[in-house]
Amino acid sequence: MSYRLPMGPYHPGLEEPYKLEMICEGETICDAKLHIGFNFRGIEHLAETRNHIQLIALMERVCGICSFIHTLTLCQAIEKLTGLELPPRALYLRVIMAELERLHSHVLWAGIAAKLMGFKTMFMACFAYREQVMDMLQAISGNRVNYSMNCVGGVNRDIADAGVILTMVNKLEREIGRELVPVFTTSITARSRCAGIGVLTHQKAVSLGVVGPTARASGVAQDLRRAAPYAAYAEMDFDVPVETAGDVRARLLVRAYEILQSCHILRQALTKLPPGEIACGETKFVFPTASAASRVEAPRGEVFYTVSWRQNSRTPSRVHVRTPTYANMPAVRWMVQGARVADAPLIQASIDPCYSCTDR
Amino acid sequence: MNLVNELLAHFKITDVSQDASGVAWFTTGNLDLRELASYLRQAGARFVTITANELPRGEGFCLEYLWDFDGRLFGFPYYPVSKTMPSIYDICEAVDWIEREVHEEYAIDFAGREYEPLLLRAGELSGVNLQEVAK
Repeated sequence: MSYRLPMGPYHPGLEEPYKLEMICEGETICDAKLHIGFNFRGIEHLAETRNHIQLIALMERVCGICSFIHTLTLCQAIEKLTGLELPPRALYLRVIMAELERLHSHVLWAGIAAKLMGFKTMFMACFAYREQVMDMLQAISGNRVNYSMNCVGGVNRDIADAGVILTMVNKLEREIGRELVPVFTTSITARSRCAGIGVLTHQKAVSLGVVGPTARASGVAQDLRRAAPYAAYAEMDFDVPVETAGDVRARLLVRAYEILQSCHILRQALTKLPPGEIACGETKFVFPTASAASRVEAPRGEVFYTVSWRQNSRTPSRVHVRTPTYANMPAVRWMVQGARVADAPLIQASIDPCYSCTDR
Repeated sequence: MNLVNELLAHFKITDVSQDASGVAWFTTGNLDLRELASYLRQAGARFVTITANELPRGEGFCLEYLWDFDGRLFGFPYYPVSKTMPSIYDICEAVDWIEREVHEEYAIDFAGREYEPLLLRAGELSGVNLQEVAK
C-alpha cells in the first residue's frame, strides 16, 4: 500500500522552504511532487521600480551564495544595452571574483553533502576551507556575502597585491587537493552513500534542460565559460569536467574536479592581471528602447537575465531572471524515483539547490 | 548549413536579426510554436526560458521563447491572442515550471495541458499586475 510522505517546507532533513511530497511503498519512493513559492519575493516586479544603481543592490540579494554572479549577469546585460566597453583589468577582476565564489559555493556544498552522508568530520573540514575562501573574498571586497563589487562598466574595488591572494589560493589548492578531493573521489563512505543513487540519465537531463554540474554529471558537456565566454574567460585555459553516470557520486566528482579547475583559473587570472583602470568611468548612461540578454556560468549552472528598457526611463520596463536551480529542481522528481526514503535528503541536495534563487 | 539557415529554410522565416547581446531574433509571424519546438528539440537545442512582457498601452503581451544551441541564444517572440498560447509541455518538459509561472503572474493560459499552480502567489492575486495594484 502506498503512502504520502511530505518533506518540507519545515523539515530537519531539508532546512529550507520547499516541499518534496513523496509517494512511497515501504521504504521505496515511487514518485514525488515538488512545491516551491513558500518565500517568493517578487524581485522581478521590484526591479521595475529601481534605477540602474539601485537595481544592482537589489539583484545582489537574489542569492546569498552567488550574489556576485547575479550582479555580474545584470551588469553585463546593461553594458550590452548601453554599448559600454570594459577595461581589461575589470574583466579579469570579474573572473577572479566569479571563481572565488564558485570555490566558496562548491566547498560549502561539499560540507553539506558530507553532513548528509553522515561524514561529519568532513563537514567541519569543508567549512574550515570555506573560511579561507571567505577571507579572500573579504580581503578583495571588504565583504563576506554581498560583495558590492560590480558596477555598470566595471568593478568597484581593485586588488592591490595579487601576490597575496595568489599565495592564499595556492595554500587552499594544496590542502583541498590533499584532503577534500581524495576523500570525495576515493573514500568508501562517499562511494557507498553516493554511487548509483539519484540517477539522472543523459536523455532525461537533455529533456529537462538541466544546467551546470547537474547536467555535466549526466554527460551534458556544456559550460558557458567555454561555450559562450564572457568577462576574460576566453583567455583562460581550463578543463570542463564531465561525468556520465548521472548519479550523486558523479555530481560529487564534477564539483570536486571543478574546485581544482577554479584554482587553476584563479592562478592564471591573478598572474596575468593586466594593469589599468577597473571601470570605464561612465556614470551617466543613455538607455535606448531595447532589450539585452546576458548569461553567466554560476556555480550551480547557467544564470540568465533579460533586461528591457525604454528610452528616457529611469527604471527598466522588465527584468527577467532564470536561475539554475529553477531549471534543475524539477529533475529531483526523476532522481528520487526508485530510491530509498533515507537517500532523499542527499539526492535533493546533490543538485545544490538554492531556494533563495528559486523564490526570487 | 548552420541552425539559423536551417530554421530560415525549413520554416520559410523571412527575417532574423541579432540584438546587442548576440541573441538571434526570428520573426515568428504565423510560425507554429509547437512545430518549432519539435524541430528545435530534434536539432538538439536546449530550452532556456520564456520571458513574458506586458506591452504598453494595454496592447497585450509578448512571450519570448529562448533556446540555446551550442552556446548561442535563439529568440522567438510570440503574441498571445486572447491571452492564450498553445502549451509545448508535451514536446519539451523543460517548459513546465515557466509555463506555470507565466500563467500565475500574467494569467496567460497555456492550452493543451493540465497544471497545478506553483503557488508563487495567493490564489486571488494570480494574474494580477502587482505594479498596478501598488498605484
